Amino acid sequence: MDSMVITSLTVSLIAILVIFTVLVILIYTIKLLVHFIPYEEPPTQKSTSAALPKTSPSSVSPDIISAITAVMATHLGKSPQEFHINQINPK
Amino acid sequence: MELTFGSAATKIIGSTGFSSLTLGDGTMILVACVLLYLAIWKKFEPLLLLPIGFGCLLANLPLSMMASTDSGGLLNFFYQGVKHEILPPLVFLGVGALTDFGPLLANPSTLLLGAAAQIGVYTTLVGAVFLGFDLKEASAIGIIGGADGPTSIFIASKLAPHLLAPIAVAAYSYMSLVPLIQPPIMRWLTTAEERKIKMEQLKPISQTVKIIFPIVVTIVCCLMLPGVTPLLGMLMLGNLFRESGVTARLHETAETHLINIVTILLALAVGSSMTADSFLRLETIKIIILGLLAFCMATAGGVIFAKIMSKLSGGKINPLIGSAGVSAVPMAARVSQRVGAEEDQTNFLLMHAMGPNVAGVIGSAVAAGVFISLFGDPTGGSTHAEVATNLISTMSASLK
Repeated sequence: MDSMVITSLTVSLIAILVIFTVLVILIYTIKLLVHFIPYEEPPTQKSTSAALPKTSPSSVSPDIISAITAVMATHLGKSPQEFHINQINPK
Repeated sequence: MELTFGSAATKIIGSTGFSSLTLGDGTMILVACVLLYLAIWKKFEPLLLLPIGFGCLLANLPLSMMASTDSGGLLNFFYQGVKHEILPPLVFLGVGALTDFGPLLANPSTLLLGAAAQIGVYTTLVGAVFLGFDLKEASAIGIIGGADGPTSIFIASKLAPHLLAPIAVAAYSYMSLVPLIQPPIMRWLTTAEERKIKMEQLKPISQTVKIIFPIVVTIVCCLMLPGVTPLLGMLMLGNLFRESGVTARLHETAETHLINIVTILLALAVGSSMTADSFLRLETIKIIILGLLAFCMATAGGVIFAKIMSKLSGGKINPLIGSAGVSAVPMAARVSQRVGAEEDQTNFLLMHAMGPNVAGVIGSAVAAGVFISLFGDPTGGSTHAEVATNLISTMSASLK
């Protein structure tokens, strides 16, 4: 039993080392990729907002608002604190 | 053939399931009903627990030939997809098509949180050995801590097929309980100030990087851990469908119809393996307890590592995102968002937590790859380590 526990500890240690090694390699690979292939702003498109039915954010769940805020922040390249969602237009 | 009323009635009664119903079958039907109740009324992972529960119900109806072990039965055919490791990789194909690796690419250091959360896998492995499981069984149980259903099923079917049913049920049950299990641990391990930390906006990522990423991950990870290729390869193929922009139809199929069909087959197959013989054992109770330990330790591991990263980065990382290092996409990320919002409604952690969350998927697949390398039997007789050793000795002998 004791030897099994020691073996399991050894396996755990080796496995954690392997996982961290693999993921650290991935981290540096990603950093290299991002460094050599930087993001380029897509050409701006004309807004085509049509008259859609409006929904107050208060009627939408906080999960949806946080998801939309997070995606908008990523898209606009702004902090979520820099803008506020006033209305949501469902499709 | 002559039949009297009495003999015909006796024959019909003898052919009903009631005549063969055992106490074990009855108990398992009850277990199936509990799973159905949790899925339908409590909404615990209904997409999985409902078909698993119904598969369990079908498998335990005597004379129905619906158990995974009933050769020629319908669910036995479905079970071949688990036994031959076809269905879990196909689920991963769909998961890859659904996953946006953007937040991970924008903040690659969050990959470490996906690794740190695998601590749950290894503490459970040691715990399982303490409770008398052998190393293969303990590895299959430990992977529950990865909070990744397909990976748990993949490893269990490879290393401990006799424990597949309790491992799958424990994995999916605890995944559905992530919103209940994680928050107390997260609150206990962090201060209010830490929970209020607002993280910097993620940088946008080039589409080219998003396209190259799945190819690079496949090459790097599958070369290092070949045993994980079916899972990780399919995950990355699904993601390439999504990001390449040239396979819209394949992407749409993988993220909707395919994953739904495969989920039905997989869950029914798992449910069909829940027979009284395989489930009503002391090992099941031990696995349920170890599964809970796995999830708690995985959450704690992620949060503690995130705290360390937070300190090292001068408070730029909110430790709450560490808990999302367990896979359970996107539920674990939502939990990080909710617990953060409890302290500050204007703190949006969701996108930041998605980084470690998808890193957890890669982390648990890599953890599975390590187990397959150490204990697996991918070539019909030898582990990868043995194959590599044999190859090296053959090469060195030929060089001499």
